[in-house]
Amino acid sequence: MNIFRRQRSDSPVVEESVYPLIASLTPRSKTAIRGRVVRIVRQPTQGLPTLLVRIEDASGAATAVWLGRRSIGGLDLGRTVVIEGVPMTSATGLRFLNPAYTLLP
Amino acid sequence: MHMIIVGCGRVGSTIARELQSQGHEIVVIDRNKDAFRRLGEDFIGRKVAGIGFDRAVLEEAGITPDSAVMAVTSGDNSNIMIARVAREMFGVQRVAARIYDPKRAAIYQRLGIATVATVAWTSNQILNIVFPQQSSPTWTNPTSSHFIYERHIHASGAGRAIDEFTTEECRVVLLGRNGVTQIPPTTVLLQDGDVLHVLATSAAIAMFDHAVTAHQGSHS
Amino acid sequence: MKIIIAGAGSVGRYMAEQLSSTGNEVTLIDSDANAISRVNIAGVTVTLGDACEVDTLSKAGSSNADVVAAVTGDDEDNLVISLLAKQEFAVPRVVARVNNPNNEWMFNEMWGVDVAVSTPHLLTAMVEEAVSIGSLVRIMKFEHGKAQLAEVTLAAGSPAIGTRIADLGLPRETTVVAIMRDGHVLSPQADIPLHQGDEVVVLLTGDVEQDVRRVLIGNSAS
Repeated sequence: MNIFRRQRSDSPVVEESVYPLIASLTPRSKTAIRGRVVRIVRQPTQGLPTLLVRIEDASGAATAVWLGRRSIGGLDLGRTVVIEGVPMTSATGLRFLNPAYTLLP
Repeated sequence: MHMIIVGCGRVGSTIARELQSQGHEIVVIDRNKDAFRRLGEDFIGRKVAGIGFDRAVLEEAGITPDSAVMAVTSGDNSNIMIARVAREMFGVQRVAARIYDPKRAAIYQRLGIATVATVAWTSNQILNIVFPQQSSPTWTNPTSSHFIYERHIHASGAGRAIDEFTTEECRVVLLGRNGVTQIPPTTVLLQDGDVLHVLATSAAIAMFDHAVTAHQGSHS
Repeated sequence: MKIIIAGAGSVGRYMAEQLSSTGNEVTLIDSDANAISRVNIAGVTVTLGDACEVDTLSKAGSSNADVVAAVTGDDEDNLVISLLAKQEFAVPRVVARVNNPNNEWMFNEMWGVDVAVSTPHLLTAMVEEAVSIGSLVRIMKFEHGKAQLAEVTLAAGSPAIGTRIADLGLPRETTVVAIMRDGHVLSPQADIPLHQGDEVVVLLTGDVEQDVRRVLIGNSAS
């Protein structure tokens, strides 16, 4: 992910208008969203660790799923994060599988 | 340290011999017994013939969460499987995988597995991942006053701004993440898996290493 | 449906032919030019390339594929293809072939696999089904392992003999799919009483194997 596209060195805050809203996403179309971590669940799948992180923006929420991980450094409740990947539909809303992520202040 | 090297080709056998000479407990896994010949007569580590992502084979190699595992077979896919089994099934923290295809490497980095490209490979690169503070600098100026060090960020450094580690004697000059390398703004927050090149004096890098691994406040 | 098959060996080619003949849009991927040139099936598109690479999967149309089937002769490739199909293209259904049963444990959601098919496993189950009487044979799993197709051939001492299906007391998460009797397949009407020798095919959607065994086999093990 190109961090320069989103951040100018004199501006630590990313403009919100750069990212599409979660509610406007088209499934299976590569995208990046920005939101806050509102829930983290560690769920074993077939006995192996899986991390589910629910991310919310002004329009709704999506879940980032990381296979085989128990935690991701810095990805804590309340953290603002950008998620980049291809969303898929699921029973619980849109999911991103092993997305690229960028921690924001 | 107990170290498991999967793949006894030129790379694997070289690392195995080097690490053994440093006194570590080495186990080499390869599908093909003949490959062990590359280790030479005086190799005293253990050899296990078998498939590196097979649970029984890894158990036979004595894998524990404290082991270090290096997947350096000639197959990218095998290396990723070995890395994931070691980390997910056996809880190994120190895992490195060699990936020939740079595009694949970028994707696998998102699985949180430290990958090393073959083209730029030296045993140093793999060792950089397993022994972060002991590897030699990649560059030094003629008077040896300043050095560039490669550093891999883990969970303890994640979430902290590069700002925090920037001083007059220490600057992060390159940040590699998900296959993209850039000169980072100091406002960027570090993440688990980031590969940094740090320009610093030797005193400053020691402080950097200490600061980046220290557990601070709410960071777990 | 739009289906991508990775692996143009005999299995992949057979699948392509079958699926294309029933009106699906099929693309075959293989990195071997010879294998690709041997494909001469009406309506099937071929893509030359390594299916373990995102670019190849993209060229083959994974972005709007309904199914990706990873059926190469190499388990490592099949797992990687499956993961990429799920992760990079959000393909709704990913089917993967298991070549070595020792690797079967990896073929699940952890690698993006929705359905794993292991020929040795299936063959064994078919053999078991043919020879075992009085034990529960697991035939196949569905839906991420949440549904299990199984069968029991009722032995002489089975408590289910003479009982109507409705009165069996099978747990709620059990569906009797069919009864095979004397070479006929009977649809499981609730008022059919079971006979010795009936092969009862069931779909289990919960952890109910023990209960099903108790009802159809009785208290003596297996």
